[in-house]
Amino acid sequence: MNHDHIRREARAIEADHRASMNPFANALSRFLDNESRRADDTAAAVLGGLSRRSLFRIGGVTVAGGALLAACGSDDDSSGATAPSGTVGGTTPATQPSGTAEEDMTDDVIILRTASSIEELAVAAYQLAIDSGLVTTAAVGDAAKLFQSHHMEHSQLFQAATKKAGGKPFTEANPAVLAALQPTIDALQDEAGVLMLALELENAAAQTYQSNVGMVLDLSLNKALMSVGGVEARHAAVLAGVLAMDPVPRSFGGADKAIAAGTGV
Amino acid sequence: MEISEQSLRALVDATDEQHRAGMASLRSDIGELHSEMRRLRPILSRTTAQRRMLRRAAGTASLVTIGSQVLPVSSFLPRAAAAGGDAGIAAFAESVELTAVAAYDAAAKSGLVTTKAVLDAAVKFSGHHTEHAAAFGAAAGDAATGKLNQALLDALVPGLTAAKSENDVLKLAYDLENAAAATYLFALGALESVGALQLTASILPVEAQHAVVLGQVFGADAATLLPPFETETTFVDPTKFPVG
Repeated sequence: MNHDHIRREARAIEADHRASMNPFANALSRFLDNESRRADDTAAAVLGGLSRRSLFRIGGVTVAGGALLAACGSDDDSSGATAPSGTVGGTTPATQPSGTAEEDMTDDVIILRTASSIEELAVAAYQLAIDSGLVTTAAVGDAAKLFQSHHMEHSQLFQAATKKAGGKPFTEANPAVLAALQPTIDALQDEAGVLMLALELENAAAQTYQSNVGMVLDLSLNKALMSVGGVEARHAAVLAGVLAMDPVPRSFGGADKAIAAGTGV
Repeated sequence: MEISEQSLRALVDATDEQHRAGMASLRSDIGELHSEMRRLRPILSRTTAQRRMLRRAAGTASLVTIGSQVLPVSSFLPRAAAAGGDAGIAAFAESVELTAVAAYDAAAKSGLVTTKAVLDAAVKFSGHHTEHAAAFGAAAGDAATGKLNQALLDALVPGLTAAKSENDVLKLAYDLENAAAATYLFALGALESVGALQLTASILPVEAQHAVVLGQVFGADAATLLPPFETETTFVDPTKFPVG
């Protein structure tokens, strides 16, 4: 999917979005409101007192979803990454950061290093959002900070687990995924685009951890993975709702946006 | 309230058609699943070497559609592969899901849910739980009961009886969804077969997302709506709420 295609899709989404005036966001906001409730309070109800302005007064969508899938998924069967059940093929790493040679790592270490690299990428992405100037709704900025703090904790969990598994923790944002996303990041123009990117990252993270369950040799890691995966799914539901998308799009978690273990690490 | 109908309808409409299509094919899906599992039974084991083989196989295995979701066949291997423990856990999970279906049904019939969109959401989420129950039932195999968890339902009844408003009902549903997510996190620490683990992991996030939607509607506190980690704090204890 090239960027022109993304922009065309984005314009179509934006048109639909403006036509509907974000029914989920505005209507849910008012549902939470009573007549006297201010928009700030409504957002506060949703985000647990974080917000100062309504989270739901969002502008048009200008960046389409699927960017991360395009970046991380591949129809190319030549991918060298190990693909857990149900995952799409991994992008060939753009770089090989210093660290343990892959052939010397256990599968658990590879999975955990990939996980912390995704979390660090999410931390970086939310920081980008916070610093970009594109996020103009205070509540969205507050949500970004909350979600970022979660991802920091998740990264620490996975890094500690990597050490426990005898590996060297991966402490950087996943370079392969970041490189693939860079054009999309560079093209971000507004808050909705930032939200869409965040949604894609959260979905990719949730699906990655779900896909790795049952693939780890240390069975205790199954719980660790989904203690994080469930939270990413919650983040995704919130972001999707704000973007007037279905917060629960599937009856079972999917794996089509999962990032293959080993990608970029 | 009129606006709330609009909002929740937007929540549920997008997947309604997909769900109905999935449910229409559920019976044949399960039949196909059983056929696939009979074929794959010889390769099933919990040894490390064979788990690796399953992983390799998963990349090329055929897919089955359960409800509205396409999953690799390996997701449903536990029926043949699981030790009694996994089958028992899957049967317990089936009973929890069927209880959730019953709870949503009771909520819908309580007369307290007057907003059509909330009712639509209840129907939609109940449909998801029906699909989850079918998948867990298939995984449980002969251990499946096809029945709800009576002890759990009994525990829910006082809350439903005491509910006096739509928000009270939403809060109960919210707590139940969070409890389901917590229960599956608990189960992930006990299950051993790859398929049972993957199936459970595919359902946990959906329960969490149900909770987010419900919690947003009535204004749940951030600590339970958006925690930093999923926890087992509110899990449904199978020793206190046994199957059968």
